[in-house]
Amino acid sequence: MKPALALITLTLLLTPAFAQQKTPPPPGPARPLNLPKITEKKLANGLTVVLAPLPNVPKISSILTFRSATTASDRKAHSGIAQIAAGVANEGTDTRTSKQLKEELRSIGGTLSLGSDADSTTMSASSLSEFSTKLFDLMSDVAQHPSFPETEVKLAQENTIQQIRAGRADPGFLVNERFQKAIYGDHPYGFVVADEKSISALTRADLRAFVTKYYIPNTSHLIVVGDIDVDKTFAEIEKAFGSWKSGEAPAEENPAVPKREKRQIYFVNRPGSIQSAIFIGNVSIPRKDKDYFALRTADTIYGGSFYSRLTRNIRESKGYTYSPFSQSNTRAKAGSFSAGAFVRNEVTGPTLLEIFYELDRMRVLPVSDEELSAAKEYSTGNFSVELASQFGLAGRINTVYTYDLDKSFINDFRPRIEALTTADIQKAAAKYFDTYRAAIVIVGDWDKVKDQVTPFGEVTIYDADGNVVTKQPS
Amino acid sequence: MRRFAATFIAVVLFASAITVFPATPPKSLNVPVVYYKLPNGLKVVISEDHIAPVVTVAVYYNVGFRLEPKGRTGFAHLFEHMMFQGSANVKKFEHAKFVEANGGSLNGHTDFDYTNYFQTLPSNRVELGLWLESDRMRSLDVSEENLKNQQNVVSEEVRVNVLNQPYQLFEWISLWENAFTNWNNSHNGYGELAEINAATIEDVRSFFKTYYAPNNAVLSVVGDVDVNEVKKMVEKHFAAIPSQPAPARADLTEPPQTKEKRVSQTDKLANLPALATGYHLPPQNSPDFPAMALLVQILQTGEGSRLYQRLVKEKELTLDLSGGLNYFGNEFDYTGPMIMTTRTTYKPGHTADEVLREMDAVISEIATKGVTDQEVANAKVQYRSNFYSQLEGSQGKAHLLSALALFRDDPQQINSLLTPFENVTAAQIKTAAAKYLVPANRTVIDRVPEKKGTN
Repeated sequence: MKPALALITLTLLLTPAFAQQKTPPPPGPARPLNLPKITEKKLANGLTVVLAPLPNVPKISSILTFRSATTASDRKAHSGIAQIAAGVANEGTDTRTSKQLKEELRSIGGTLSLGSDADSTTMSASSLSEFSTKLFDLMSDVAQHPSFPETEVKLAQENTIQQIRAGRADPGFLVNERFQKAIYGDHPYGFVVADEKSISALTRADLRAFVTKYYIPNTSHLIVVGDIDVDKTFAEIEKAFGSWKSGEAPAEENPAVPKREKRQIYFVNRPGSIQSAIFIGNVSIPRKDKDYFALRTADTIYGGSFYSRLTRNIRESKGYTYSPFSQSNTRAKAGSFSAGAFVRNEVTGPTLLEIFYELDRMRVLPVSDEELSAAKEYSTGNFSVELASQFGLAGRINTVYTYDLDKSFINDFRPRIEALTTADIQKAAAKYFDTYRAAIVIVGDWDKVKDQVTPFGEVTIYDADGNVVTKQPS
Repeated sequence: MRRFAATFIAVVLFASAITVFPATPPKSLNVPVVYYKLPNGLKVVISEDHIAPVVTVAVYYNVGFRLEPKGRTGFAHLFEHMMFQGSANVKKFEHAKFVEANGGSLNGHTDFDYTNYFQTLPSNRVELGLWLESDRMRSLDVSEENLKNQQNVVSEEVRVNVLNQPYQLFEWISLWENAFTNWNNSHNGYGELAEINAATIEDVRSFFKTYYAPNNAVLSVVGDVDVNEVKKMVEKHFAAIPSQPAPARADLTEPPQTKEKRVSQTDKLANLPALATGYHLPPQNSPDFPAMALLVQILQTGEGSRLYQRLVKEKELTLDLSGGLNYFGNEFDYTGPMIMTTRTTYKPGHTADEVLREMDAVISEIATKGVTDQEVANAKVQYRSNFYSQLEGSQGKAHLLSALALFRDDPQQINSLLTPFENVTAAQIKTAAAKYLVPANRTVIDRVPEKKGTN
């Protein structure tokens, strides 16, 4: 850099008015936050409708959430049914074939897809705002009258089985699947994908019965964000969804979340792997827990942001990995905290050591005031960015209704974050970064890395299909 | 209960199915654009948008992996990492610290023809973003130690995204290696590990001096800001950065392909076979280009597309369909030769020839019988809708404005970009299919598992 610097110095001498500034410029006066204006209404059939204008582009974005249709729903008789139902619901209705649905979506610049998880099934849809009536018509049709044609059901079963087989070659899929099973066991939250036999056993009648029972307006909410006029949009929604018949809210299944007793290693053997995919974590708290903000912020400081402790350590200082991470994943009935990294075989053991070191450091010592203040700015600043995109805002509103949070959540977010102290962060870390009872999940080549792994605990080895191969005491 | 409701809806639907779409005038988008150049050659784009209190500050350099030196595959991307390793007044990785501690997020990306750096911040921190970008544009500071560190990091990136993955991004890396003959276009842009690790500090310095000068860059500021205030800040932080001699432009021309290329590969990690095809596209200024873009829409964008319907739904041969006109981006953010890619995972028990036969049948139907007016109308609506989605946030807008400034020296075009696509006719799409989607113009890679599938 010497020659370049010399040149720059010369330039600076010639133009002193524009000397290179040595310190970061201070912020200007704070700008108005523009918090979204959210209107909630209810249809006679019990459907909650939430509208928020955000005319950044002439489009609308919508989320329809069926809170009764979860992984747990009907799982004992029909494992995996929520997933297949969500996958096939938009492949034909009583009056539209799959192809007609897709063509009509194209004609409005639309998207419409469904997905299911542990707490709900969601339909996400969007279109140009000039075609909102048509979009609501299509969403309503898929919600109320999915026909599950025999050929579509059969094709989805075959393709899902093949896609899962394809996924078993991907370390990212394998490490997540084993981690969920390790911490949640047989609890419905431990479900990732069904086995092939269960998928094949599902019938069209099962699927129709499932949606009749679980896709009901009185346990659902519809969020629309975008280029809308609230009154006009509500009238369109009432017209499209008004005929949807309410049903009896299904009883909630609420089995207890298992408690872990000790640290254990779950190793998925993938011969030929040139990296170890590592997840370390434990169960934490449900979404409504009072520690939500403290844990979320502890996560930001630990590994949830780019300038986090974990990234500075194992990426920027040691060069073990590209994208280390941590995540606080809180759901209706339980949550998990996990940290992880994908690292070359040779540094598998050292990475485990550093992940644990950084976890324990946050449990034992308070974070600095500077770190906490940075984490607060990071959370509140990025919250504003999230609220400025249609699906970002819709997604935020969706968590409020899915997890039954205070309606003031969005407005309260900033003050709640700003109230946190370094003691709050340490307490949350001490409690939920539970290294002593952590699940250590690794996908990699056992023969290549076993000597680095065994010092950390008792190992159970699995194959890619999830079968236990062998147990090894430490 | 359901039955009654269904009947009622059926009547309504029938009515709407035969009604031609209401002729609501399409809503348009008007993006305000201020564009000028500093005396040192830096192109500056400012666009006010007060919908949210955020701003994106982005710098786009006119160099992507096509221009990296021979023997140094992956270097443009490695260099992108070095831009976070400190400059005269910002220590290693402090760029991330400053941005995040001020409520923002940041990243960089290396593409075929550009490398970009961007931060989205609360809009009252706009000057911080400008200061950070100016400091590294003026005085990047690199050390042997930091280079070694990032060579390790990038090697892990290549392992996690390519080498340890089934298929190893063959629909990009292998397809480009085979479809193109000019090294600039054909080489592996993610990089061979040995070449990534062979890079020296001198390589870094020389690349910086050649390509990272203000006269080879665009600065975009988009969001809740005041144009005149931003202009003053830009002047303050960027005006004194010296320009450099313009880099010699590499020859990116590609000889026309005259014969189909077929490649067979085996995959050590994958469980299912997959197929990728690439067809050379006409250049962006060709009159055929807008028709090709809509043809891609009709052929393979989304589950309603002709190829998805044929391969996945009707023939039940394949599981998925992906690809498009530009593997990484859109119609506007590249300059060199490009191929239209298609990738599909097919089911065990079938062959690549079966899949190709169906793909060819779909193409030949379009090339001989053409497409319907309704399909063209739908493709245009879908195209407009996708276009607006790209412009939803300050980051997406900054991206398109920067690309238009970088490659066309005219970001004002953002407000008229859709016009050529809106004017395409069914006849032009038919002609484009017949002209470009022919076997002699394509490369095909069949990639099958080395081991038998798990069944």
